[in-house]
Amino acid sequence: MLLLQYLVTGIVTGCFLILATIGFSLTRRVEGFLNIAHAELLGVSAFTTWFLNTSGGWPIVIAALAGIVFTAVTGLFIGRVVYDPIRSRGPAVLLITSVGVAYVIGGIIDALVGTGIRTLDIGLPTTYRVAGVRITDYQLIVVALAAATSLSLALFLSRTRTGLAIRAMSANPALAASRGVDVRVTSRATWLLASGLAGLAGVMLAVVATLSTDIAFHQILQILAVAILAGLGSLFTVIYAGLAIGIAMDVSVYWIPAGYRPLIAFAVVIVVLVFRPEGLARRGSSR
Amino acid sequence: MIVQLLLSVITYGSLFAVITLALNLQYARGGMINFGIVAYLAAGAYAYAIVTQEPPSGLDQYLFGFDGPWWAGMIAAALAALLFALVTGWPTLRLRGEYLALTTFAFAEVFHSLLLNERRIGNGSVGLSNVERPVPEVAGIAIDESGFFAVAALALMLVTLLVFHRLLASPYGRVLDAIRDDELAASTVGKRVGRLRLQVFLISAVPVGLAGALYAMITTLASPSLFTAEVTFFVWIALILGGERTILGAVLGTFGLVLFEELSRAVPFESVRAAQVAASVQHVLTGLLFIALLRWRPGGGPKGDRS
Repeated sequence: MLLLQYLVTGIVTGCFLILATIGFSLTRRVEGFLNIAHAELLGVSAFTTWFLNTSGGWPIVIAALAGIVFTAVTGLFIGRVVYDPIRSRGPAVLLITSVGVAYVIGGIIDALVGTGIRTLDIGLPTTYRVAGVRITDYQLIVVALAAATSLSLALFLSRTRTGLAIRAMSANPALAASRGVDVRVTSRATWLLASGLAGLAGVMLAVVATLSTDIAFHQILQILAVAILAGLGSLFTVIYAGLAIGIAMDVSVYWIPAGYRPLIAFAVVIVVLVFRPEGLARRGSSR
Repeated sequence: MIVQLLLSVITYGSLFAVITLALNLQYARGGMINFGIVAYLAAGAYAYAIVTQEPPSGLDQYLFGFDGPWWAGMIAAALAALLFALVTGWPTLRLRGEYLALTTFAFAEVFHSLLLNERRIGNGSVGLSNVERPVPEVAGIAIDESGFFAVAALALMLVTLLVFHRLLASPYGRVLDAIRDDELAASTVGKRVGRLRLQVFLISAVPVGLAGALYAMITTLASPSLFTAEVTFFVWIALILGGERTILGAVLGTFGLVLFEELSRAVPFESVRAAQVAASVQHVLTGLLFIALLRWRPGGGPKGDRS
């Protein structure tokens, strides 16, 4: 019974990880590098929402939307100002630069918010009991949003012009450009989309968890784990990978101390990279 | 005050410069991105503490304490770092670029998590305090401790620097350059790439392990909070600051960064909050510096010195 409860919690964790990772993988796929600062964007959105909600007194939905939009614009701004000029230096330099960006964003959040634990002003969650397993309405929202986001992202990428352009660019930037895809517009759309998704994940984090300023760093470890298990740059395998890691982490608590949760994620990373670097995705990730 | 500042800059500057030199060997010469180098330092510090500390008593939760002399601790520290490099380096030989960066990062995080959660190694999050250290005396007269350890750290750095310099100026260094620039070409002329890459890992681990032992002696502490990913990134920033591929740059970059940290720590603050904001601002400045350096000074550091 307890095992079943952990399984359900694991699915919720997994859904959150899907939301948090999908933007990261999108960046990896289109821009071609690992954006370590992606997790800090979760923090930007979570704390913007928290500030508007508690200090500004805004209703949670509006505060959340504002937080997401602000995060999307911030992500676009950083992409244009920091990453675009050095794109020709290759993924390693971009990766190392993104560590610097993570420092800057993390430092700003720290300076503005300070230490301590924050919660949104949204009241306590209602707990439902189904066959002895507890789940809260907030957790259900996370699951529903992860499902809705995955579905709409799939539709966006396969049906709309911008979505097709993003996929074309991720498959072959030079060919896409020569076939009339506006590379700059598509790149900006990607930054907005990826950062907006990070924003959504950040809001979810604020809803289901308590916030402290070091939260983003803990997320990047798990995001990396999911992205690697999925195969860097794959989008839809992120769904399986997110669920797998979420469930593995939470169910492991049944046998081993809870302190080892992050370790599970990282053991997965090492095993995957050493034995199957292309991850769950069948083909190797495109560059 | 000034003397104290100078001493701690020399001490910590030298210690971290050892790590920067190791990173320089791995990245600038070997072409390998190691995002988990802090683990070598932690392995060294813990090995030293475990070998020299007394057997557990009272509230202690650790299992092993051998009460050994300090030199045995130093040897254990070097061996522990070597072992960690071997265990993590061997399975990752096939990996390149960002994949290697992530795996090394993951190994370091797993190790950190073990130290934090497995109380039988070193009391978990509390860590091992009152780490033994040799009492410095010259001809029976005790001398100033902080001065002694500053000299010890400086000596370790200079030895590391000399050894690495000799190594890289030799044909061996040119083989490493060849592998970094074109792996396929290097293996075509018969250089065993995997073996050389593992050697680079092992060679660079030893001085970092020794630095870990010194670090434990100086702070008399080995606790997980000292060995977070922040240390890794700090050293990376120092390396970029000093410029890749120059030994002198790596050392100067580290000293510059440590001086900056020590100076900003020396500023008195009215309140806890002010100190905290200052720490955050320091983070932001470090990050901005990092971004700017990578963008505008790809070579970085003093030009010309390619060893």
